[in-house]
Amino acid sequence: MPELTYREAVRDALATAMRDDADVFLMGEDIAEMGGSMGVTHGLVDEFGPERVRNTPISEMAIVGAGIGAAMQGMRPVVEIMYEDFLTLSTEQIVNQAAKHRYMSGGQLKVPLTIRTQGGAGWSPGAQHAQQLEAWFVHIPGLKVVFPSTPSDVRGMLWSAIYDDNPVIVFEHRLLYPVKEEVPEKLEPIPFGKARTHREGEDVTVIATGPMVHRSLEAAEEAERNGISVEVIDPRSLQPLDEDAIVESVKKTNRAVVTHEAITRMGFGAEVASVIQYQAFDWLDAPIERVGAKFAPLAFAPVMEQFLVPGPEDVLQGIYRTVGRNGD
Amino acid sequence: MATEIKLPRLGQGMESGTIVKWLKNEGEPVKKGEPLYELDTDKVTQEVESDASGVLLKIAVQEGEVPVGQTVAVIGEQGEEVSLSVEQPTDGGAPASAEKPAEAPEREPERERGREASARAEADASDTKPQAATDGRIKASPLARRIARERGIDLAQLRGTGPEGRIVAEDVERAEAAAPAAEAAPAPVAAGEVEVLPLTSIRKTIARRLTEAWTVPVFQLTIDVDMERAVALREQLVARAGDGAKPTLSDVLTKVCASALMRHRALNAHFSEEGIQRFPTANVGIAVAAPQGLVVPVIKNAESLTIQQIANARADVVGRARDNKLRTEDLSGGTFTISNLGMFGVQQFVAVLNPPQAAILAIGSVEERPAVRDGEIVPRPLMTVTLTCDHRTVDGADGARFLEDVKAFLEEPGLAL
Repeated sequence: MPELTYREAVRDALATAMRDDADVFLMGEDIAEMGGSMGVTHGLVDEFGPERVRNTPISEMAIVGAGIGAAMQGMRPVVEIMYEDFLTLSTEQIVNQAAKHRYMSGGQLKVPLTIRTQGGAGWSPGAQHAQQLEAWFVHIPGLKVVFPSTPSDVRGMLWSAIYDDNPVIVFEHRLLYPVKEEVPEKLEPIPFGKARTHREGEDVTVIATGPMVHRSLEAAEEAERNGISVEVIDPRSLQPLDEDAIVESVKKTNRAVVTHEAITRMGFGAEVASVIQYQAFDWLDAPIERVGAKFAPLAFAPVMEQFLVPGPEDVLQGIYRTVGRNGD
Repeated sequence: MATEIKLPRLGQGMESGTIVKWLKNEGEPVKKGEPLYELDTDKVTQEVESDASGVLLKIAVQEGEVPVGQTVAVIGEQGEEVSLSVEQPTDGGAPASAEKPAEAPEREPERERGREASARAEADASDTKPQAATDGRIKASPLARRIARERGIDLAQLRGTGPEGRIVAEDVERAEAAAPAAEAAPAPVAAGEVEVLPLTSIRKTIARRLTEAWTVPVFQLTIDVDMERAVALREQLVARAGDGAKPTLSDVLTKVCASALMRHRALNAHFSEEGIQRFPTANVGIAVAAPQGLVVPVIKNAESLTIQQIANARADVVGRARDNKLRTEDLSGGTFTISNLGMFGVQQFVAVLNPPQAAILAIGSVEERPAVRDGEIVPRPLMTVTLTCDHRTVDGADGARFLEDVKAFLEEPGLAL
């Protein structure tokens, strides 16, 4: 099995889809010759030409709006929003248009649009280039939202996003691009709504998304050395959500830590905690712990950034709290 | 200025006590020195006096177990605002911490969310107290509740080991494992006929102390004593008792043992890891079957008391033991114990050591038994006594020499002078 980086896995999914299907094309800021600001689409313009790998003006509203129009006309566009912070500029198109047309047309219109974007802290990008805004979009009926954390996941899920007849937002993370993983020889679609269990355990379930999956696995190793067996689950798709997998795991371990890099308050983890408390109430042996960023704009200063954003140690402390340890 | 009334340490080794009943209600005036509440410690139930005068503004712990040093009430002036904001010790389980003033334990900042508020509301977040003690609300995880419900376990009887004293699943499972007999008892006895008596403090103490005693390497020595003269002595003393308590054979034995202990200090001792403590006076404990269970009040300095004085002291302390009015000091400081079952017709028995004491003497009944005197079998009033010794402290010959003197003093009381 070939080993790909997360960045290469995204590129491979895009290229494979474009080779297979003339309806698939890309739009975004500087995605052609420059290969996108993160280098994800590097080289694709050489293979597929500027008609299918299209640079756009700096207008996120226009990018998404044009994508919606093309999708409704039968194309399968994949648009890139350079930083998810800039989704704010295209929110009207995403929330009021893309998410609504299928419903408001009684199913006569479909919007098979894929919106790729990335963000995340850990490299001092400051308050306007590192937010984690997935929760905003999970809140909107009519959208699907995925947040793959590994190369094989992003490859298979991006494929599923392209071939889904509904608008899908694919959240990528800046720090995940160099992460490597063996991926299947032939691209296999990964259906939405199926969580992935990265590690089985008996004492605590950690439900983690994006980069927190890797940080949680680190924390789980450390906890294991201290005699606590940790299960790590990545829902991968936030909407739809694999509630069964989460609930089943918590029923087994009786304790849960929910973690994401996004700010804790009103974050996606609140919804997961709610699902757990409702469906597994009688199985809970400790309050559900939540680990996320502190409620503050992200700081430029690396030490302050590190202070605000959760790391493996924060997950570990959460794990310890669920089992009633002080964690020292 | 309001005064916080904290649970006092009433004796060495006391870590907690169980508040049984308040003798004053909130809002009532209280004078310093007046009995405020009844406290059940592992030794006695006693009334605790108020350390302050004023109005009983707030009872913080209505009833249940409380670690030493925890605030149980606030006394102040009428109308004074009471805030029990001072955090109660949360780690009261550790003996060392019980001495600490009730300082606010630092909370992890991460636990701020909601946790703090609920902990403060209960203001008694001690993880040592049985949950029954909190004001009606038992802190238990949903899983613990479900398991308890399914298996018919009463959460109120459990002690929570989770954060802030919460009962977690493990506590319920441990409780179930600890009582497998009750759980697994098959049908022959209908469930309704099994009477379950909750363990009182005193019962728990008896269980703990005697289980502890079982780990001590002991040996027993038995000797027969001709009691003719001791019985006669006792009769003379009864005739002279006047207004005092009538001396019993036990009182004679107390005196005789005290005299023998002064001559055999090895037996008047405690064992501890730091060393063997030998005591200068004989403080003789008398095992008493009180209604609430076995208690051992102590006759202090028995070697320097007359038998009549011993009888008076014994009558007082035994009377109070039967009325459950013993004080901690009645029970502490024993250096040796006598257990007498002779009045029940028991000929001989082996007593379980009363640690850390080095020895205990088990007294059987005085009865006419055949004995050989000058080659003839004759009936004699004999009594069999059995000495149990802690072999870590006492060697066999020490015990034997002590018993030899006890026998000699009983058979010829003048020798005890």
